[in-house]
Amino acid sequence: MKKKQAVSEEPAEMIPSDSSSEGENEAPTKAKRSKTEDAGEKEEVVYHPVKLSRNDLYRPPTADELNQLKETESLFHCSLLKMQMEELLKEVTLSERRKGQIDSFIQTVTNLLQTVPESLQVEVSDLSWLSGAVKVPFLLLPKTTKGKFRMVPPASVDVIGSYPLGTCTKPNVMVDLAVTIPASVLQAKDAINQRYPRKRALYLAGLAEHLSRSSDIGTMRYSCLHGNRLRPVLLVCPPDKDSSFTIRVHACPPPGYFKPSRFHPQRNNIRTEWYTGLQTSQTETNEPPTPHYNSSLLGDLLLRAHLQFLSAVSSQCPAFAGGVALLKVWLRQRELDQGTGCFNGFLASMLLAYLLMTHRISNTMTAYQLLRNSLNFLASTDLTNNGVSLAKNPDSTAPSLADFHDAFQVVFIDPSGHLNMCADMTACTYKQLQREASVSMQFWDDPTVDGFYSLLMTPKPMIRTSDHIFQLCELVKFQSSCKKLNLLSELMDHSGNYIQTALPFILSLLQRGLGQRIHLLTHSLSPDPEWSVESEAPKYKDQPPLSFGLLLNPELAASVLERGPPADSPKAAEFRQLWGPRSELRRFQDGAITEAVLWEGEHMCQKRLVPKQIITHLLQLHADIPESCLRYVGAALDDVIKTGSEVNFEILTGEEESLVVVQAYDDLSRKLWALEDLPLSITAVQGAHPALRYTQVFPPVPLKLDYSFFEREKISRSLVPKEGKPCPAYITPVTVICHMEGSGKWPHDRLAIRHIRAAFHIRLGALLKKHHNYTCRPCPTHLDVCKDGLVFRIQVAYHREPQVLRESLSPEGLLVLRDNEEAQALEMATIHKPLLTSTLHGLQQQHQCFGAVCRLAKRWLAAQLFSDDVTEDAADLLVASLFLQPAPFTAPGSPQVGFLRFLHLLSSFDWRNNPLIVNLNSQLTAADYTEIKNGFMASRESLPVMFIATPKDHKLSLWTKRSPSVQMLQRVVLVAAESLKVLERQLMDGSQTQDIRVVMRPPLDAYDVVIHLNPKQVPLLGQAVDPPVVNFSRGTSGGSVRPSGGVLPVIDYNPVSIYLAELREAFGDLALFFCDPLGGTVITVLWKPKAFVKAPFKTSQVSARSVEVTGEEAKTFPNIEAILQDFRIMGKDLVKSVEAKTEKWLL
Amino acid sequence: MAPSKKKHADDQAYLIPGGFTVLSLQFSSDTAARHSLYVKEHRVRAEKSSGRPMDRTLFVLNIPPYCSEGVVKELFSQFGVIQSVELLDHPGSVQESGPKLAKIFMPPAKQGFKVGYVVFKKASSISAVKSHPHDVPLVVCTEERQVKTGVQKWIQQYTESLIQPEKLQEIVDSFMQDYDKRKEQEEERQRQEAEQQQEDEEGWVKVTRGHKGAKARPHSEAANQRTLQREKQKKKRKELMNFYTWQHRNTQKEHIAELRKKFEEDKQRIALLRAQRKFRPY
Repeated sequence: MKKKQAVSEEPAEMIPSDSSSEGENEAPTKAKRSKTEDAGEKEEVVYHPVKLSRNDLYRPPTADELNQLKETESLFHCSLLKMQMEELLKEVTLSERRKGQIDSFIQTVTNLLQTVPESLQVEVSDLSWLSGAVKVPFLLLPKTTKGKFRMVPPASVDVIGSYPLGTCTKPNVMVDLAVTIPASVLQAKDAINQRYPRKRALYLAGLAEHLSRSSDIGTMRYSCLHGNRLRPVLLVCPPDKDSSFTIRVHACPPPGYFKPSRFHPQRNNIRTEWYTGLQTSQTETNEPPTPHYNSSLLGDLLLRAHLQFLSAVSSQCPAFAGGVALLKVWLRQRELDQGTGCFNGFLASMLLAYLLMTHRISNTMTAYQLLRNSLNFLASTDLTNNGVSLAKNPDSTAPSLADFHDAFQVVFIDPSGHLNMCADMTACTYKQLQREASVSMQFWDDPTVDGFYSLLMTPKPMIRTSDHIFQLCELVKFQSSCKKLNLLSELMDHSGNYIQTALPFILSLLQRGLGQRIHLLTHSLSPDPEWSVESEAPKYKDQPPLSFGLLLNPELAASVLERGPPADSPKAAEFRQLWGPRSELRRFQDGAITEAVLWEGEHMCQKRLVPKQIITHLLQLHADIPESCLRYVGAALDDVIKTGSEVNFEILTGEEESLVVVQAYDDLSRKLWALEDLPLSITAVQGAHPALRYTQVFPPVPLKLDYSFFEREKISRSLVPKEGKPCPAYITPVTVICHMEGSGKWPHDRLAIRHIRAAFHIRLGALLKKHHNYTCRPCPTHLDVCKDGLVFRIQVAYHREPQVLRESLSPEGLLVLRDNEEAQALEMATIHKPLLTSTLHGLQQQHQCFGAVCRLAKRWLAAQLFSDDVTEDAADLLVASLFLQPAPFTAPGSPQVGFLRFLHLLSSFDWRNNPLIVNLNSQLTAADYTEIKNGFMASRESLPVMFIATPKDHKLSLWTKRSPSVQMLQRVVLVAAESLKVLERQLMDGSQTQDIRVVMRPPLDAYDVVIHLNPKQVPLLGQAVDPPVVNFSRGTSGGSVRPSGGVLPVIDYNPVSIYLAELREAFGDLALFFCDPLGGTVITVLWKPKAFVKAPFKTSQVSARSVEVTGEEAKTFPNIEAILQDFRIMGKDLVKSVEAKTEKWLL
Repeated sequence: MAPSKKKHADDQAYLIPGGFTVLSLQFSSDTAARHSLYVKEHRVRAEKSSGRPMDRTLFVLNIPPYCSEGVVKELFSQFGVIQSVELLDHPGSVQESGPKLAKIFMPPAKQGFKVGYVVFKKASSISAVKSHPHDVPLVVCTEERQVKTGVQKWIQQYTESLIQPEKLQEIVDSFMQDYDKRKEQEEERQRQEAEQQQEDEEGWVKVTRGHKGAKARPHSEAANQRTLQREKQKKKRKELMNFYTWQHRNTQKEHIAELRKKFEEDKQRIALLRAQRKFRPY
């Protein structure tokens, strides 16, 4: 119901009104916004150009002001960015009130913790002292270990981490509390064989049991630090539900209890004998090193030292907290700040500390500069090869950088010199971080990009970032891959976490296999598990599926050949080992005989999935992960733009068909150029049809016709549809504009020009027939040419015609130019459309999947009945903007990701306050951007709601001038957001019903009348979202198409569109009509509420209205029954039934 | 619809305020719903010339799209012999301008509800129409007179749109001949005018307001503006920038003013954004 109001409100009113209409019909988020506007803020929220008085502008500046102005000018692109950053910081930092709440709760918890009762000393494996209500947060693997444990009150409880540093940010406020386990509980050899981690878990369980008895504590859950099961933590919430912070209780050994040198990355602290339970003959020196185990223990040991270090650093740099907060926001938008092996806030602080210590940034810099410098550092430093250390002068026992690099993929050493803080991070994650940083720096330096939004405000979820995604579902299979990859000692090091053990190996395997095909391989960071204190720790296999993202290299990703080294080179063995039986010797055209792998893929839609074949093959071959575990999401959406051409039974996604059309056009264009005997020469032949820029949803297909299906026209013998038969197949005319030379021979009169054009059409047709035997049909407005089974519609254009249309003589004899619609329409058809077509054709050459994204987008718009509001050209421009200005992403590399971003653009772009600038051919400079924006702001109210500026069109937004209206745009935004949500959920979650066509089926209950059409008369039925299993015969027959000659087919005859046009002409002021032009079998109708207000009798407004007389006054209202009857009459044989959904018109 | 039937006797004409008589119209005898036609004698004094004699012309409103001129003619011929029928999108007169065009060169007609001017041979037919009982509908499509709609009509339209190139050529040729003739006439007229401006025997020149002929510059609005602009630019080019000290000082002052203005603008933009809650990162 809500939607209906939104749509049906006076559509002529193009100007968005601010408060009156928004309040009720907008999406919840917007409604919320406008409510706050109305309620609290007195601020004027409409932008006015600033008017400062002369006095204000020219008064002598104070030194202070001068400095400030100069600073903003030199440091920031503009003061806007600085202010934006400040506002953002205000949003994420904690308020004083919140801090007060947190402080008091910390006090409560601390007090409670101090009073933990003591218990008797027991064996570690004896859990009888715990009441059954609380479980130990630890996976006991292997079951037993030696050692004694007893519960005693903590030696100390301290607040650590981001909260005392002031770098804590909203949301998910976490306050870390370190509880020191007294030395009396621990024993000297506890570092070995998981004794300490188990005691730590027991101690936490003890604390949890004690806390659970208190009423001052809300819910309690266990989690583990960054997914490391050796470091469980206890999450404590305050009792009142609405407070949104959590206290995270860590247990740690007393400072200095263990010697750090014990945890050298090459030392062993888990004995194979204990772990496997088997007697081995290995001596201690032969034991494999356990770097990850060591670093997790070290991490506990150094908790407090790190805090001291950071607070010392941050106290010197006033902007430290702000810098960290910005960096955290940046990381969070990129999903890099949480989960196993993440780059968390702690690392962000350490990074800034490192930059400060190495004097890469100075203490006086602002938060903005801190962020910029740290991104610059990340972009330019490869920690996977050249680790950095915070330790100034590490003691002699500290390991060297080389030692760290041997043991870990990413190296960033802490101030003590013993701990690698990036121990769990995979090389892929770091590469991702690095790429993100360098891409961010690019956007930042580009004055045409809104750096603030792309860096800090736009989320980059994996599904919208990566071109292809795949998921590994049954994680338990990783166990067998560990076995296959022979990773026992690594498994021991990771304490049985087979996922983390196998992951780096699988990643490097895939990286090798995909090689040049991808720019980047990313993987999701498994989220920290959380479970209630009453339940056992979850198993590793209970984790959600691991997702991997591929950022494709469009040039190479779809290549079907993997060419290896020559057969006799030493590298051949390596190649064979990688590819296994798929590798074979091949001889190439250049005479070389090399190892090679050939993947299947004949057509573009299959070639796009070559990475899938590679991944499946490699995982099966090397990691024992069967294909059934792999969920590859790369081309899930291709289905809806696939056409099953009946002729050759091949299902294609349109790239090849478009190519056929373009080639036929090129040939035609050549032939036109070559024509002689024309009175004037041709100056340009330009395509002006989406099919000629690869963006036609279903490109025209060459058709061979079955003549017996048709009637014949008497004189010309052209085909004509036969009554009683199904509507013949629709033949799309492909528009081609043919400019003729300007000359004095052209008349200077609109009607005469029209006739001369017709003469040209006749002449061109005759010549084409004579020289090339093409069947032609000249009309006054165009010339249809049948060529290769396709139909081209040539329109002759004369460049001065719009001018002639505009000219008129004023009474004084002065020649006046008056713009009019006719001239605009002509310019659109003969100038702007061809230009757009050629420009976008160029874009397709740069980005292979541009066309496919456009086609998906337009399929969606059509299916949701929006194709009349967001026109084809506007949709193509929207998609073009995704490729030309992808910030914060990079240009889409697959149709799927492009489409998701299209939906996101539609739903999240602030159409009210911003122009969408599509920088075709990069013709716009930064100055142009400002000019466009200022012009837009100054005359916002009179401009189209959806404003798209292009290099040739700074001020008018040609393509969206007519539509959409405010209400329709609102609806589009709403539906796009919903579609995106549904789609992302389906794509990312294999357990959902997998039917992506859901987003293409519009709800019909929102409309007043639904006109059901007879499928027999819908020529494009086969292109419907849910095409019928059996289609009607439409007069086509198989076999190859004759390139020329033959009878003129039925061109551009589509009963649905004719009917729709008639309905709009007859009832356009009473109702809106919607239809899916691509095979839709319903036309939906929405009454305009305004038309249903009783109006006084006026001769100009009585169409389809009844009259009612009250006293002396005659009032009119729509004659609904007759109108519904007219729907049936006007669409005789096409309309199956007219279903009135609502009774709204009953006055 | 309902209200009309209640208030009036069924077999009477239905007159509404404004002087219109309501006639009901049915597509065929088996369709239930009816449209109402509103008719009145044509009485506009301004239009004397057009073929709408005041006493014999019936003004008809709300003619459904499926009624062509022929259909309307037949519908009303039951009231008297009809001279002509004219269907328009809006009430008023048509501006007959320019030469006559072939049908195929006309822009496609709108398929909406129309108004009609029906001219009867006799004035008495008007009153016959106005007394037509309301409940006896005019039927558009009958056994004898099939009106094609929907798919049938579209196929017919498609067939009609096919035109032989030869025929098209003929139309074009005849139009262009006509056009050339008109142009010649125009030129002839101009030539005569020019001749008139020649000196006559006694040395007098007849001066008229300038027409085509020798002109200094194109006589149009755009051209005028272009010239103005060009002169302005020329003036600007002559000035020297930053030459005198006061000029330099002024430039600096302008720069600061510019910065200030930008700062104020940005402040306002921020206020706007803040009002829209644009700073929540997630």
